[in-house]
Amino acid sequence: MDFELTDDQSTIRDAVRDLAGKFDDQYWLEHDRDKQFPTEFYDALATGGWLGITTPEEYGGHGFGITEASILIEEVAKSGGGMNAASAIHLSIFGMHPVIKHGSDELKKRTLPRIVDGSLHVCFGVTEPGAGLDTTRITTFARREGDHYRVNGRKVWISKAVESEKVLLLTRTQKVDEVAKKTDGMTLFLTDLDRSRIDIRPIPKMGRNAVTSNELFIDDLMIPVEDRVGEEGKGFTYILDGLNPERMLVAAEALGLGRVALDRAVTYGNQREVFGRPIGMNQGLQFPLADSLARLDAAELVLRKATWLYDQGKPCGREANTAKYLCADAGFQAADRALQTHGGMGYSEEYNVARYFREARLLKIAPLSQEMVLNYLGSHVLGLPRSY
Amino acid sequence: MRWELSAEQADFRSVLADWLGGTCPPETLRGWLDAGDHASFEERFVCEGWFGVGSPEDLGGEGGGLVELALAAEELGRRAAPSAAWLGSMLALPALAGMPEAAKALLADGVTTVLASSAGVVPTAETGVTGDGSRLGGTVGTVLAADRARRLVVPVGGERPSLQLVEVDQPGVRIRLRALTDRSRSVADVELDGAHGTAIPLEGPEVLEAAALRAAVLVAADALGVMEQMLDSTVEYTLQRKQFAVPIGSFQAVKHAAAEMLVKVESARSIVYLAAASVEAGHPDAPLHAAAAKAQVCGAASAAADAALTLHGAIGYTWEHDLQIFYKRAKLDAELFGSPAAWNDRLADRLALVPGAPA
Ligand SMILES: Cc1cc2nc3c(=O)[nH]c(=O)nc-3n(C[C@H](O)[C@H](O)[C@H](O)COP(=O)(O)OP(=O)(O)OC[C@H]3O[C@@H](n4cnc5c(N)ncnc54)[C@H](O)[C@@H]3O)c2cc1C
Repeated sequence: MDFELTDDQSTIRDAVRDLAGKFDDQYWLEHDRDKQFPTEFYDALATGGWLGITTPEEYGGHGFGITEASILIEEVAKSGGGMNAASAIHLSIFGMHPVIKHGSDELKKRTLPRIVDGSLHVCFGVTEPGAGLDTTRITTFARREGDHYRVNGRKVWISKAVESEKVLLLTRTQKVDEVAKKTDGMTLFLTDLDRSRIDIRPIPKMGRNAVTSNELFIDDLMIPVEDRVGEEGKGFTYILDGLNPERMLVAAEALGLGRVALDRAVTYGNQREVFGRPIGMNQGLQFPLADSLARLDAAELVLRKATWLYDQGKPCGREANTAKYLCADAGFQAADRALQTHGGMGYSEEYNVARYFREARLLKIAPLSQEMVLNYLGSHVLGLPRSY
Repeated sequence: MRWELSAEQADFRSVLADWLGGTCPPETLRGWLDAGDHASFEERFVCEGWFGVGSPEDLGGEGGGLVELALAAEELGRRAAPSAAWLGSMLALPALAGMPEAAKALLADGVTTVLASSAGVVPTAETGVTGDGSRLGGTVGTVLAADRARRLVVPVGGERPSLQLVEVDQPGVRIRLRALTDRSRSVADVELDGAHGTAIPLEGPEVLEAAALRAAVLVAADALGVMEQMLDSTVEYTLQRKQFAVPIGSFQAVKHAAAEMLVKVESARSIVYLAAASVEAGHPDAPLHAAAAKAQVCGAASAAADAALTLHGAIGYTWEHDLQIFYKRAKLDAELFGSPAAWNDRLADRLALVPGAPA
């Protein structure tokens, strides 16, 4: 067993730490407050070549694995950028996976180099008002008409849609009652967010406000056949391929957020004096922070194991789900405790921990709720009957 | 709302507490428990007239009701007194209301009469005993204080059980003592094979429901007393024990753990007396109050026992230290006459909750 990062991995970690560190608290505070996309941050990562970290070399990327990608995104979150920073680049880092694996050469050539250089912003359109965790319930329908598909439907929560040129869109090409398996009959596209056919409305939300999440009203959107990813009817399986890496990336984001929250709590605990001594001297404050450190460290180990397994081509469902579960939990708990450590100041925006708290809460819900992780572990790993 | 103990109730409590302090101090208690002797305490308890308190005068009691009984249970718990025979008898009493002579024999003459219900379940549960008064058969496992009893109130039959008063001293009855980790109480299996009984002219289900509510309140009160004792002795220990040149009680984490115990004690006290008064008055919500008391207080006492053990460090883990006696009593109280989960289920059954999603 070996717990060392490789040379490449430590180089990546240090370089990203340096680069992300150039964007200070004030930057994130303002972008979150003003609901402004962090363009300068995004451009800096693009210029540094970081957006192509997992994109294959033939399309201009570095071809690294999920381990390197998770280290990158953890550092980005940990820099204090939190989920605003992570969500700005999340899809570029690994979201193109279904396209890389199943897309046509033409589609890849047309899109991937632009993901790497940062000129192409994409978003991920799966969730619908009637289909949250139960993805097979989507109803957005794509009807073939010659060399096009005519698409109608509604999507919800689609992050970064306002800022994106394209969407990775999951649709149905057969209704759920027309297919043998409810996971059949779904088709994936990577296509333009044609504003004349798609009405995009941001949803006012609790946090991570530098990146929008939106409702999409799709009205007779015409998608050329060339924009289809892989075969018709197989879209769900393509998405499935990406689920484990997605969980690991989200785990890394939660971990980074927990780390920065804990750092801030420690700083404040050393600085702030009440009753004539630093508040961190009280066991009532010190122990919860020490406990969070232990939990973050433990969660990190599962995450590293999960990404290692994936990069070795081994099964990793158990570890990927566990990592998401433990990192989201430890990250949120650390943010909550950081807030408590700051007392009244924790509630002000000035100390940033309130922002981390709002963002960390998201990771217990999306992209996959903690309950669904337990469903997975309960039925797929333990072999208990499926409960739903 | 303002509710407090009456002057008589407060007096009763302090006199009983004093008496127990003199009669059942730790060294004496240890002697009894080591020798498996519960009789010495029981005899004194009856002789001094404590047995009749909390029971109606027309049944040979001294008057008062469930609040007095709860106070007694709390004080008995605080001393870990061998009170199983008393508790088992207090649960049999609703049945004996239908047989005043038998009630008088119990309350005034010390003819111990216990309810033959399994100690691990809510007393409304089926016993498995069948037959009629001339021939009863079946085994009721782990009956509280069956080994101490001269008479048993036996629920017979399934759906709507009837009640039989059974003399222990007859060929058709066998009592098999079982070992308990909590040595301050006792249980035994009751084996009936052609036993004779006398029908009790009351409705079985109603009587057993009343017995269940009394069990909930009195076990909760016992757990409260046990918890108070553990809190007091734990605080005392943390002030005495020094590490790093200071009393361990000066460490915040230790203080906070003790404070959490205090919070449990205070909320337990609120629900125990409320439940006692509510069951006594036949309040429509009495079943909810009793269930909340049993589930919450006994669950809290069990957790408090764990905290007390942690705060005592290794010494609490020894046989020499008294904590083990109270720890085990708290753990038994949690399961006695229904676990917190079983009583939470009863609570849930009475609330308008969303039914479980269909399978
Ligand atoms: C800020 C934000 C950004 C998002 N970005 C995107 C995006 O870019 N693209 C996209 O497609 N989606 C996005 N989402 C949507 C996200 O993926 C969904 O919110 C998530 O999948 C949960 O679905 P839901 O909200 O419909 O919850 P529901 O499916 O309605 O679930 C509600 C609750 O019920 C529980 N539940 C449901 N089923 C079960 C079960 N079988 N067993 C136990 N519990 C269950 C859930 O755990 C949850 O607590 C985003 C959401 C948010 C909040």
